[in-house]
Amino acid sequence: MKRLALLPSLAMLALAACQPSGTTIKIGLIGPLTGDAAAIGADMLSGTRLAIDRINAAGGINGKQLELIAEDGKCSGADAANAAQKLVNVDKVVAIIGGLCSGETLAAAPIAEAGKVPMISPGSSSPDVSKAGDFVFRDYPSDAGKTKAMAKYFADNKLAKVALMSENTDYAQALKVSLKKDLPAGSVVFDENVEPGTKDFRSLLTRMKSAQFDVFVPNANSDAVDAVMVQQFRQQGFTQRITGADTMDSAVVVQVAGDAAEGVTLINVPTAGEGTKFETDVKAKYGEPKSSISWVAYAFDAMNVFAQAFKAAGTDGPAVRDYLYGMQPYTGIVGTFHFDKAGDPVGISYVSKKFTGGKIITVGNITLP
Amino acid sequence: MQLLMNGLIAGSLAALIAGGLALVYGVLGVFNLALGQMVLVGGYATWWFHVPLGLPLSASIVLGLLMGAALSWASFELFVNPFYKHHRFLPLVTTIALSMILDAAILLLWSERPRSIPTTGGGMISIVGMQATFTQLTLIMCTLLLLCGFACLFHSTPFGRKLRAVVQNPLAAMSLGVPAPLLHRIVFIMSGVFAAAGGIFLGIDQTLSTTIAFPLTIKAYAAIIAGGKGNIWGAVLCAYLIAILEQLLVGVHWFGTFYVSAGYQSTVALLFIIVFLLWKPQGLFATSQRLA
Amino acid sequence: MQFFWHIVAMICMSIPNILGFNLIFGKGKIFHFGPIGVSTVATYGVFVPLMHGFSYPSAIAIGFVLTMIISLLFAWLALRLEPDAFGVMAIAIHLSLLAVVINWISLTRGTRGLPDIPRFFFLQTTQSFALFTFIIALLWILFLFVLHRGSFGRSLDALAEQLWYAGSLGIDRRWVTVIAFLIGGLGALITNVIYCQYVFLVHPSDLNFPVFIFFVMVVVAGKPGSVPGVLCSLILLTLLREGMRFLPIPSEFIGSLRLLLFGLILFVAVWVRRDTLFPKARSV
Repeated sequence: MKRLALLPSLAMLALAACQPSGTTIKIGLIGPLTGDAAAIGADMLSGTRLAIDRINAAGGINGKQLELIAEDGKCSGADAANAAQKLVNVDKVVAIIGGLCSGETLAAAPIAEAGKVPMISPGSSSPDVSKAGDFVFRDYPSDAGKTKAMAKYFADNKLAKVALMSENTDYAQALKVSLKKDLPAGSVVFDENVEPGTKDFRSLLTRMKSAQFDVFVPNANSDAVDAVMVQQFRQQGFTQRITGADTMDSAVVVQVAGDAAEGVTLINVPTAGEGTKFETDVKAKYGEPKSSISWVAYAFDAMNVFAQAFKAAGTDGPAVRDYLYGMQPYTGIVGTFHFDKAGDPVGISYVSKKFTGGKIITVGNITLP
Repeated sequence: MQLLMNGLIAGSLAALIAGGLALVYGVLGVFNLALGQMVLVGGYATWWFHVPLGLPLSASIVLGLLMGAALSWASFELFVNPFYKHHRFLPLVTTIALSMILDAAILLLWSERPRSIPTTGGGMISIVGMQATFTQLTLIMCTLLLLCGFACLFHSTPFGRKLRAVVQNPLAAMSLGVPAPLLHRIVFIMSGVFAAAGGIFLGIDQTLSTTIAFPLTIKAYAAIIAGGKGNIWGAVLCAYLIAILEQLLVGVHWFGTFYVSAGYQSTVALLFIIVFLLWKPQGLFATSQRLA
Repeated sequence: MQFFWHIVAMICMSIPNILGFNLIFGKGKIFHFGPIGVSTVATYGVFVPLMHGFSYPSAIAIGFVLTMIISLLFAWLALRLEPDAFGVMAIAIHLSLLAVVINWISLTRGTRGLPDIPRFFFLQTTQSFALFTFIIALLWILFLFVLHRGSFGRSLDALAEQLWYAGSLGIDRRWVTVIAFLIGGLGALITNVIYCQYVFLVHPSDLNFPVFIFFVMVVVAGKPGSVPGVLCSLILLTLLREGMRFLPIPSEFIGSLRLLLFGLILFVAVWVRRDTLFPKARSV
């Protein structure tokens, strides 16, 4: 057995030693390709791939082709650290897209920092990422802006009492903490966490009946769970409004929840590519998004931002970092943004959308003060 | 009252899975840690026949159950049969290997996308203050029917008598001419069919995703441990009991003062395991083994 | 080169925990399915106090006491329960501990983990980690080697083989089991204190059930109870796991293929060891 195991691993190390280099620009990706968040990881991968294919088809960066090396971070710190070590020190990538889970980003950040490799995370929303280091950026809005928009939307629509149901994952928890900070004190009348993987929220909803609330916020890590929450909420006979955040922005909600999805509102960036040519391109190439088109879009934008930086500043790590900090507002799929001092995106605007007749329709802008 | 209804829905699912498992444990004395994955394969297969291939729902369900049977047969031949006679704990490790392989197979075949099996008949029905959809009621009925059918088979047919004989004492049964190895096989396949039925239930009522496999396995084990190892009716009853307790735990305003955080809902099953193993290792409904 | 040091550090820092587990599961044949539960207590026992203003020595002292308590609890259960019942029980306790960690958000920050873990002053670079963990691992291996060879190891062997006969020869089962679990707990503490500093992060996803499966694989593939065997399989399996990253496989399949391969390895390992993995009473 041992001898058997030895052979492939030796072969792999030999393979690693003789990989060609110099002719391409290597880009690393760290995301959950397996495990609980694998669906989102797959979307992130296809977004990055799509961007790279388009850049390469258009001639690459100054004549050099981009090469993607994707590593599995499994949504865990240990695996992301392994992946980052390999990308930074063995593959010598010039930039990293990822991680997706905040745990991945936080574990990979010090390694990227030591190797002077800039990272753009297309999905980590936790406030901790802002402090993760000089080389860490994200084009995924930190929750601060999104939840301010949600709070404003609730205030505008006189929805004073909020009921929250959050999945116990780092994305949903970070959103919850941020939302509670932005809402007036005492307005969250129901606040519960559910285990990731649970699909049965009926008893919790039964308990919700005793709470007096105006709006229900299903806060899950993926659209499928959001949809199940919406479906069971309506099945229990609630008539209150439902408002979700970006994971709700998905056609899957209609497929799973059916009629229950009618009238559900959500706060998100104006478009994450839904209903555009971008979406049809993604579908033609990679099929239905595994989790939601927005994860594809954020990764797509992150890759394109890097490409723009390489064209302007070359592929040297500190130069790319300085370029990103000073970048003019960039217009991507998810909106127009630039980075602030913490590497967080600034300038992404928010709109409210509504499920009407099985389609998601934008109903209004939310202007933040 | 609504909580009871919720418990009934969740419990039917758990009972389906635990029933087959209890039989396996009672007859073969082996643990099957790949049970959750077997559930998922049944569900995913049914979804695959129904949605992408466009077969009618009833045909898909039959095919899904057949897939479950085929899979559990193959698992038995490869992962259990060569091992459990060496030591009855060996399958505990081989089924971990099986669960990894099945996880990988599900990911490769059907990808990570959560799936649900669409059905018609989503209308709400209200009975004495309890709300459920027509589909959910049908599912509960089907589960009860399946379990009752099994009870008849088990208790009032010659086949059931042989089965019970093997449960009590395989060697004695064999010496009386009961083909114990064949029955072992049949029992394992039966548990696979029950698991697949559970997967179809899950796919219709909620959604299928790979993350749910391990929690399902643990819940089924909680039920069979609490129900007395190998006692099918104990396991089925305890599956319902655990499900109702889970719903009560988070749904009831305890002593009028506090709620338990819903994050702890899944620990109910775990606490069941812990409490029962400590306090009553034989379980609630254990039957003492017959001696001469 | 940096990557090489990283792999050395990763392997060396998991040695205390895995060899400790090997002592219990491999050598003692006790169905301890909760080593990650012990790790959970060790990790949070040290780093929660640390992040709440305690100094490193006092935080480690608190973590040590908590780890020993949970190890004693596991040992007590192992003595009290049937082997398979203890296995399931240990899984249940591990998952319950994890549920507490995830849900007690005010204390542990739940699924967001504890970021910005400070490192010891002498552990700033990957090389220093590799060197330090190498020394620790060497000392630990030496310690366990002596232990395995000594009278304690023989007692554990005897108990694993025939509980009653060993008892009648005057071996105190309680004492031996408790010591084995305490050593396992100490290993978990050492590994996790170093590991969390290395990645600057405490995260519950590093403590869930799949981590345990890797532990079982290493022990089963390496010859249960043998220190050199388990070391060898730990090194090879880690190299294989990290080496797979270098294979030219499309990245969307690599995760599932790795699962498949590791499942097959586990299966083959059990197949090869089906007669020796769990003890059978010797007969004439």
